Amino acid sequence: MANVQKIDNFNGFQKTLDAVCLTPLGFFGLALLAVLPFIPPFNQEYLIRWMVVGLFMAAQAVAFDFTGGYINIVNFGFAAFVGLGAYTSGILAARLGLSPWFGMFVGVLPAALVGFLTGVLTLRLRGIFAAVMAWFISLAFWGLATKLVFLTEGPLGLNCPTLLQTSSNLPYFYIIFAMFMVTYIVLRRIVRSHMGLAFKAIGQNMEAARTSGINPTRYRIINFTLSCAFAGWLGGFYAHYYGILMPDVMHTAKTIEVLVVVYIGGRASLWGGAFAAIPFVFAMEMVRSVFSQYPGLNLIFYGLFLILIMIYYPGGAAQLYQSLIERLKNPFFLRLVNGVISAPAQKKIQASGLS
Amino acid sequence: MFMAIANSNTLNLERVLTTLKSPAGITISASIIAAVLGAIDNGFYVIVNAIVTGGMWALVAMGLALVFGVMNVVSFVHGEFFMIGGLTAYFTFTPFSDYLMGNPNPLFEAVLPILAMVASVAAGVVVGILCELIVFRPLRNRTREQWVMNSFVITLGLSTFIVNSSQFILGTDFRGIVSYWNYPTLSFFDVYVSFDRFFVFILAMLILSAFWLFMRSSKFGRAIRAVSQDETGARMVGININGIQTLTLALSSALAALAGACLLFMYPAYPTVGLGPLYNSWFIVILAGMGNVAGAAVGAFIVALLQVLTTVYFGEGWEYTVPAACIILVLIIRPSGIFGSEVRGILNQ
Amino acid sequence: MENQLLLQVENLDSGYGFLQVLWNVSLSVAKGEYVCLVGPNGAGKSTFLKSVAGLVSPMAGRIDFSGNSISRLPGDKICRMGISYISEELNLFAGMTVQENLAMGAFTINDKRKIVENQDFVFELFPALKERRRQLAGTMSGGERKMLAIGRGLMSTPSLLLVDEPSLGLAPQTTAAVFRALDTLKQKEVTILLVEQNVTKTLQVTERGYVLEKGKIVLAGASTDLIQNEHVRKAYLGI
Ligand SMILES: Nc1ncnc2c1ncn2[C@@H]1O[C@H](COP(=O)(O)OP(=O)(O)OP(=O)(O)O)[C@@H](O)[C@H]1O
Ligand SMILES: [Mg+2]
Repeated sequence: MANVQKIDNFNGFQKTLDAVCLTPLGFFGLALLAVLPFIPPFNQEYLIRWMVVGLFMAAQAVAFDFTGGYINIVNFGFAAFVGLGAYTSGILAARLGLSPWFGMFVGVLPAALVGFLTGVLTLRLRGIFAAVMAWFISLAFWGLATKLVFLTEGPLGLNCPTLLQTSSNLPYFYIIFAMFMVTYIVLRRIVRSHMGLAFKAIGQNMEAARTSGINPTRYRIINFTLSCAFAGWLGGFYAHYYGILMPDVMHTAKTIEVLVVVYIGGRASLWGGAFAAIPFVFAMEMVRSVFSQYPGLNLIFYGLFLILIMIYYPGGAAQLYQSLIERLKNPFFLRLVNGVISAPAQKKIQASGLS
Repeated sequence: MFMAIANSNTLNLERVLTTLKSPAGITISASIIAAVLGAIDNGFYVIVNAIVTGGMWALVAMGLALVFGVMNVVSFVHGEFFMIGGLTAYFTFTPFSDYLMGNPNPLFEAVLPILAMVASVAAGVVVGILCELIVFRPLRNRTREQWVMNSFVITLGLSTFIVNSSQFILGTDFRGIVSYWNYPTLSFFDVYVSFDRFFVFILAMLILSAFWLFMRSSKFGRAIRAVSQDETGARMVGININGIQTLTLALSSALAALAGACLLFMYPAYPTVGLGPLYNSWFIVILAGMGNVAGAAVGAFIVALLQVLTTVYFGEGWEYTVPAACIILVLIIRPSGIFGSEVRGILNQ
Repeated sequence: MENQLLLQVENLDSGYGFLQVLWNVSLSVAKGEYVCLVGPNGAGKSTFLKSVAGLVSPMAGRIDFSGNSISRLPGDKICRMGISYISEELNLFAGMTVQENLAMGAFTINDKRKIVENQDFVFELFPALKERRRQLAGTMSGGERKMLAIGRGLMSTPSLLLVDEPSLGLAPQTTAAVFRALDTLKQKEVTILLVEQNVTKTLQVTERGYVLEKGKIVLAGASTDLIQNEHVRKAYLGI
């Protein structure tokens, strides 16, 4: 990795970007997003709400892509892990009065634990077993959430205290923004590390990885558990943002939503799904409000997108972006999109005499 | 698997004992005991219910197992074929049935339900072929890398698309019927079974046997098995793989559609009705062993029994949770299922 | 020898994905001929046979079979044209009996009598198979499986038989039986292209041979000449 040798040459800004794994373009994009709630027309309450939903989706997409894209296992029970975190935190807060701020972190435990057990039991088998098993687990938990009324209030919904005593969405925007950043940075740093290389090797060819001395099962379990842990944490936000929790938070349809976003954004990029999430949520909300007499029309598009992407453009938006930046010649733009991470880009930049 | 059954006609005690001690033997005996105990406790209808629904789940699950064995597709869209079958039967049956109210005609009354079932089989075949041609074949032509995961994701897309298109076009109304035939209820021992249920059970048995014969001794049935056992080998002996895959999907969606039509009086058709059959058939396929078609036929009755007993002892609303928990146990103890998976390489990678 | 070409391959390039294995390979087999292709491990012999059989799509070059181009056809069409490929991996249907495997071999034949005739011929060639008619292919020994694979390949009455390393992993006795069977086929005017490791034996029984090394044909000629060839003697016969 070129950045390891070169890191001394970086200036402060570059070092920071390197630490948070962003390209300058990504940084400016996020900076723009951070001030977006103040820029008309985005300063309207309902649009900020969409952005919160979008960022929540983005964070989920990152956690989902961490397994789906890297070790190539579709966690088909993803929503159940989100739901586990949500219900744990929600129940603790509603029944025992635990602070939601603390409960969100407690919610990580059951999600990670169930994820770990699922992993231990199925990840030595072909990837599809883990997918199916996770799905069954989500069915089981969904059923439990519906039936254990004394604990969860069932389909009527559990009233959870919200994080803040405000009806404004703006503070929530920054909370989920921060949670998204943490998810992204932690998982990206792992992907960039030695372990990330092992993940990629396993995802591409398990046998080859095994012969080169990697213990695939172990890495798969680590990866799966981590992703589930983040799912549980994000679930806590869900519970204390909406203030009401219904079993459908664990429904397969929720998993499919995240999956569609990840595939449209581009698998195995981490940022692809996150990038696609907000526009996607906006588009879907728009379809939903414009064609409000046809509920479910947006879901037809989900399905269609997914099919088309899988057949014709499996790399999604990330692939499109990659093919675009490969054509870039202008050194300024090169610098913008490549930042300090890629070695070939550094060579190009040096050759162009900009640095 | 088909052969295993054929070969076991030389019965002797030792063989019976080893069979009993195998996972399949243990599970089957346990189910029989559970059925008997359940029947003693709650009446014979427990067994009748399990057998009637089991027959139909067998049709649905066999299709799912077949699609996995031959096409290597972990299908999430299978329940939608069930829904399409139910809808087709509904729209064929009700207009004529209304007409018959005014102009009674015993003969037409007798055959109308069968026409509705035939129509839904036809619809299943058409939808199956369309899915193969429009979705799976282009994906297969693009790449066969990571096929299992990719095709699985694409079935998610298909399912979402079909469910919501159906909702978009027809709305979320329940479209069901009270019964196909107005014939008197039959009674066996002291259990009353409606003619519909009786017919549906007989039909399931007939189709299971026909299917078994087809897979065992017809040219194309054998070709289907050949493709699931060794695709390259199948190509080497001159089997057109694309053709067989189209046939397989058409067959499996037709079976699911037929089940949807047959069970219309129990499961009215609405956009997400397919989810239940999908769950069930997945339970069955995992229980029996992925891709094991004959095993799925047997597993269907076990899962149906499990469900009937769940409803009796846990109450409504648990009928997916408890079986899911049991199947998770099976996955943990024996990932290849109680009858063993026929698909090679399922355990490694 | 009547010089009617049955198989004619010209300047074939082939491989897997981005990996090219064969470079400009030309080879021809006349009707009724018994030809062999020898070479070290990894030379690309199996790749060559797979390309002819339509299991690997060629990158460039021509493959003609009885005057028709087959280089773009899928494997099943090629089988229907009369080429039978018996692969190294055998590709038997493990969950079917011997008899069912043979029946699958005759998938392209609709004439019932012809199928029975072919099956009788196979049983005559390999009596061991007849005894084990009802055994599952997956439970048979290596030698038996090899015989079954050859038998299955013969069931479609092929005019050209491509055989990949029939003696691999077999005891001398079984190897001899397999070679005897190939001889019988030769007698019956079946054209054979044989790939083998056992170079001495192969050059003794075949009429012509090609030597493939690192994806290129380096030598070709009558088998009797090849046996005398300095390079062949050094590299393959260990003399
Ligand atoms: N499916 C495949 N994908 C990628 N490369 C392959 C594949 N099959 C074979 N190869 C490569 O192609 C080359 C030639 O292989 P091939 O099997 O044709 O050799 P061969 O001459 O038959 O060798 P052997 O005598 O060992 O059977 C080898 O380097 C092999 O690694
Ligand atoms: Mg070889």
